[in-house]
Amino acid sequence: MSPLMRTILGQVIAVAFALALGSIVILLIDESPIRVFSTLMRGAFGDVTRIAGTLLQTTPILITGVAACIALRGGMFNVGVEGQLFMGGFAAALVGFALPMPPGIHMLAGLIAAICAGAAWVAIPAWFRVRFNANEVVSTILSNYVAVLFTSYFTIFLFKRPGGWSETPPIASSAYLPELFDFSRLNWGLLIGLALAVGAAWYFRNTPGGYAISMTGSAPKFAEYGGVNIRKRGFWVLIASGAVGGLAGGVETLGVHHRFMEGFAPGFGFDGLIAALLANGSPIGTIATALFFGALRSGSLLLETDTSASREIITVIQAFIILSVSAQFLVRRRGDAQGGERRWKF
Amino acid sequence: MEVLTSLINVALIVATLRTTAPILLVALGGSFTTKAGIFNIGLEGQMLAGAFFAVLGSIWTGSAWGGVLCGVAAALVFAYVFALLVVTFRANEVVVGLALNILAGGMTISLMKAIFGTRGSIVGQGIVGLPKIQIPYARELLGSWAPLVSGYTPLVYIAFLSVPLFVLFYKRTRLGLYIRVVGEKPEAAEALGISITRIRYIASLLCGLFAGLAGAHLSLGYITMFTENMSSGRGFMAVAILIFSNGDPLRVLAGCLLFGLADAFSLRLQTFGYPSYLILAVPYLVALTALFALSYAARPKLIRETADSMRRFLRAETPDSRPTEGSR
Repeated sequence: MSPLMRTILGQVIAVAFALALGSIVILLIDESPIRVFSTLMRGAFGDVTRIAGTLLQTTPILITGVAACIALRGGMFNVGVEGQLFMGGFAAALVGFALPMPPGIHMLAGLIAAICAGAAWVAIPAWFRVRFNANEVVSTILSNYVAVLFTSYFTIFLFKRPGGWSETPPIASSAYLPELFDFSRLNWGLLIGLALAVGAAWYFRNTPGGYAISMTGSAPKFAEYGGVNIRKRGFWVLIASGAVGGLAGGVETLGVHHRFMEGFAPGFGFDGLIAALLANGSPIGTIATALFFGALRSGSLLLETDTSASREIITVIQAFIILSVSAQFLVRRRGDAQGGERRWKF
Repeated sequence: MEVLTSLINVALIVATLRTTAPILLVALGGSFTTKAGIFNIGLEGQMLAGAFFAVLGSIWTGSAWGGVLCGVAAALVFAYVFALLVVTFRANEVVVGLALNILAGGMTISLMKAIFGTRGSIVGQGIVGLPKIQIPYARELLGSWAPLVSGYTPLVYIAFLSVPLFVLFYKRTRLGLYIRVVGEKPEAAEALGISITRIRYIASLLCGLFAGLAGAHLSLGYITMFTENMSSGRGFMAVAILIFSNGDPLRVLAGCLLFGLADAFSLRLQTFGYPSYLILAVPYLVALTALFALSYAARPKLIRETADSMRRFLRAETPDSRPTEGSR
């Protein structure tokens, strides 16, 4: 069996195990697993509108997943994708409603603003990480809370639409991401996500820079010996990851909501990280895992109305998946880190 | 000036001690795993599970202590799973910790809906909160300063009294020594015949115990209710404290007091009409600033490393494009 096949098989077994655990939890809350899973399937793939809905949910998970992949490849955890997504989403909305521009250019400007906001938001944690070894897991997690609170503040106190909910004024239609079909809000964002995933995979596979990043992540000493400045690499890896995270927010704003609102994309950043982990840091694999999680999310909307289970049950299933994947991941390499020397860093 | 005087008084200190307690409990718990050489990002989830099951237990048993017991039991289960995956299966600590946090968030919300049929929060329903302990003669002896020592819930006293006990534990007891050896010099531990696995399990479970107490304090302490994700990042702040205190109980206390003060201050400022969103961000910003500042303070060793890498950088002309040759 090829290594790739073995990896895929391993992940499939882990997912099956997690679904079994999830079924037990569903039974515990007095609901039938079969009903829950069939409702999830129906909600995700029931008809063409629902499939489009699934792809719509897949889009931000795919983009944030690629963001997480980039950091994972470089040996770092960007747990702050959620915050970068909020900052990016807000920046795109700001450009969208405050700056009039011709169509096309307006959309590009919004996306670029989102990218810059995401990159800027991760810059300080990234710099302290590579310069003074400040733990990036904790700093990026904490900056998520700050990002959510800041964007809420801006939205409600500075840019609130008069008489509206806690949301900014709608963006100009010149900044909309074009929709793919007329029956769904599915838009170019999906294509952007796919292009990013393929582009990132190509970059890691075929360029010296990508190779240097992979080496920095998996064997920093080797990379340094080979002449890679691992600090500089690490910094730019986090910045790139943050930029893509910000782009995810921009795509949500310009493609789906057409405004920024409080809590506009809850949990997409974490879903992206989970998707990337399940795909073992492979951008192409993330396409599949993001679709899987997108389907769970989209199916869970129906769960709330058709069963007594709450939609958070899919969060439980996702957590089980990651736990079982993490366990078997190391069963495979058991014995290489004997005894004590176990660092949290890659 | 008026703002300042009405901000800083006995009540602020009391509020600080109160808000410090949960984060101190969870950070002290984390000191076990930190000392044993495990990076435990899962504190947040253990605390949240503790808070939820404390409320559940309090309703079931009709007693606050029954609630605390349930909360601790739930946190212990999370801690056990963490240890099982990280120590036995050698899974990545960050991945497992984050997954357990996500699990705690999703599970508490799902169970809340299944059991109470509500979303958002559990209020009333017969939750019994922890009693407040009045120290005898405190009012007679201390007058208006009495609230400083009297009238807290038991877990506040447990939190602060634990600090000296932790100091003694690490300095004077065999288990404390073993935990430190396992964290600092695992090879030495192995040479001494100490089971690294067992010590790490014990450390992780002790951590769960305290995280559970912290959770119980959140939901049964000064407010008797459970809300979605009510730990709101305190576990992560505790991890930040643990990183720069290296798990030393006294430094943990200092760090936690800083956050307690930030928390109490931000609660106060809200009453002065500052936008609550910005004020709520204060504790997180304090945590971030402390993390960055202290990583900067711990830099000497790293400067040497940077100097080395700079030297290498100067020696190699095009460092970025070189690793391709011969290494593919």
